[in-house]
Amino acid sequence: MNDLAKIAAGAVVCVESEVRGDVTIGARTVVHPKARIIAEAGPIIIGDGNLIEEQALIINSYPENIMPDSEGVEPKTMTIGTNNVFEVGCVSQALKIGDNNVIESKADVGRNVILTSGCIIGACCQVNTCEVVPENTVVYGSNCIRRVQSEKPQPQTLQLDFLMKILPNYHHLKKTVKASGTPLRN
Amino acid sequence: MASLLQPDRVIYLVRGEKRIRAPLSQLYFCRYCSELRSLECVSHEVDSHYCPSCLENMPSAEAKVKKNRCANCFDCPCCMHTLSTRATNIPAPLPDDPTKTTMKKAYYLACGFCRWTSRDVGMADKSVASGGWQEPENPHAQRISKLIEYYQQLAHREKQERDRKKLARRRQCMPLAFSEKYGLGTRLQRQRPGAPISALAGLSLKEGEDKKEITIEPAQALDEVEPLPEDCYTRPVSLPEVTTLRQRLLQPDFQPAGASQLHPRHKHLLMKRSLRCRKCEHNLSKPEFNPTSIKFKIQLVAVSYIPEVRIMSIPNLRHMKVSLSPASVFGTAPAALGVNVASELEDSSHHLCPFCSIVAFRKSNKIGFFIKVIPQKEEDADVTVTFRMRHDFRNLAAPIRASEEGGDAPPEPIWLSHHVELRLGPLAA
Repeated sequence: MNDLAKIAAGAVVCVESEVRGDVTIGARTVVHPKARIIAEAGPIIIGDGNLIEEQALIINSYPENIMPDSEGVEPKTMTIGTNNVFEVGCVSQALKIGDNNVIESKADVGRNVILTSGCIIGACCQVNTCEVVPENTVVYGSNCIRRVQSEKPQPQTLQLDFLMKILPNYHHLKKTVKASGTPLRN
Repeated sequence: MASLLQPDRVIYLVRGEKRIRAPLSQLYFCRYCSELRSLECVSHEVDSHYCPSCLENMPSAEAKVKKNRCANCFDCPCCMHTLSTRATNIPAPLPDDPTKTTMKKAYYLACGFCRWTSRDVGMADKSVASGGWQEPENPHAQRISKLIEYYQQLAHREKQERDRKKLARRRQCMPLAFSEKYGLGTRLQRQRPGAPISALAGLSLKEGEDKKEITIEPAQALDEVEPLPEDCYTRPVSLPEVTTLRQRLLQPDFQPAGASQLHPRHKHLLMKRSLRCRKCEHNLSKPEFNPTSIKFKIQLVAVSYIPEVRIMSIPNLRHMKVSLSPASVFGTAPAALGVNVASELEDSSHHLCPFCSIVAFRKSNKIGFFIKVIPQKEEDADVTVTFRMRHDFRNLAAPIRASEEGGDAPPEPIWLSHHVELRLGPLAA
């Protein structure tokens, strides 16, 4: 059992998912089985209403040229806002993600990218630049071309409600742990 | 090892009007002429039109009226993907009682790939799921239709004059065949390759049109042009608002420069085509009429008639050193066929010794043999081996001539020979 993970009440985190390190998961967030949330180089704080699908990987890892045990490395917190969708198979290392973003299947978001709100990273697109992606940007296509859409993507409330009803019928869930209180016993 | 099965490794030569080299999977075989045909030695004819997304068949006349566009489906103006219709619930006041609101369904078009929606260009949501979307009208539509009418009349007049001249010269011969010059849609009028396409060949007047004179005004050049805005050079360009050249040219009517004026267009129709050998006028490939079916009524592809040569493995090729490269020949017809392989010295600089036509192994419909390769040039890019393959071909399609004995003689096999090139790749350093 992961003692450091803090899962709020109302979140649905399947037992088959891998949550390692200091991870805080907000209410109404659904983490599918086989999703992986790994906090190696610092804590991860995930907000409310997020949808993290199978084989998605959210990892707060050390930058490549720094060894884990060297000095002078401060743990940086990865913050993820509300109503984001991490579709199947995506990899996200971005340190700061806002609200209402969608990272589509097999997309790859690098560590130095900051997603504001309403951004959509298309399927199989790799964004590993060092920039702040403006609001309501859509990155799509094999060449990762961009355009600005006029409205942010809809929050997946229907899907979240459905999953929160159905997933407990088929999967065991990780126990919720209040952030300030003591962990509940099995 | 799948790279050895790539189509461009084994190339067959087609001796048509041009000498074309193509892999066997892209060739056709005319069994009446007993020759290989490539896509450039056959004539292509349009069979039917269909929409690629709704798979609806459309007769040619209707396709011509609708300018080869589907009536139901739209293309995203931004990424050219197919648009899908989505519904939302919006509160709308009831017609009887303005104070109460009820949920009504509103439909809008959205692209699943680039997330473009019809609301981006300001198109209002429609209350019907399909049929409510209109393309904006071309501002020059009237002038264009007037010009077309004028030129149609001109073509008609010219045709009448030509008929009159021909009739005047040969009064005894049939007159009607010539006056139908623009009306013939059959094979007699088919465009010959290389012949100049008559510019007015597509226009034809119906018989009953009235013969009133249409005049057009010539286009007038304007002296005054709108001046450029003052901040034209200093205003920073906002790239998301500017259309790309491709997006702009897909709408030749408007060619909008701003992304907010990109309206969706109806989807282009695709066509099914049938291929015909130019020498004997037999059909080589005729697809089924139904757009959902991928089968063919007539399918004379080369792969089912000509034995296919495959490279089994490529050894390390060294300059001026002998290597043995195994290759195999796959037969097609159920009857046994004989294959002869002989070296062919052509302009290629790589040639092989008069090599073993000894069969290395035999297995059901497959024969394996070895090729001795001696690369001649050191710095060449690819080692290419060419040889000539002869095989006998039993033409089951040819009519069986009644022999004198009265019995049915089996069709005689004829020997066909093909020039095959194998691309073995670069020299191993």
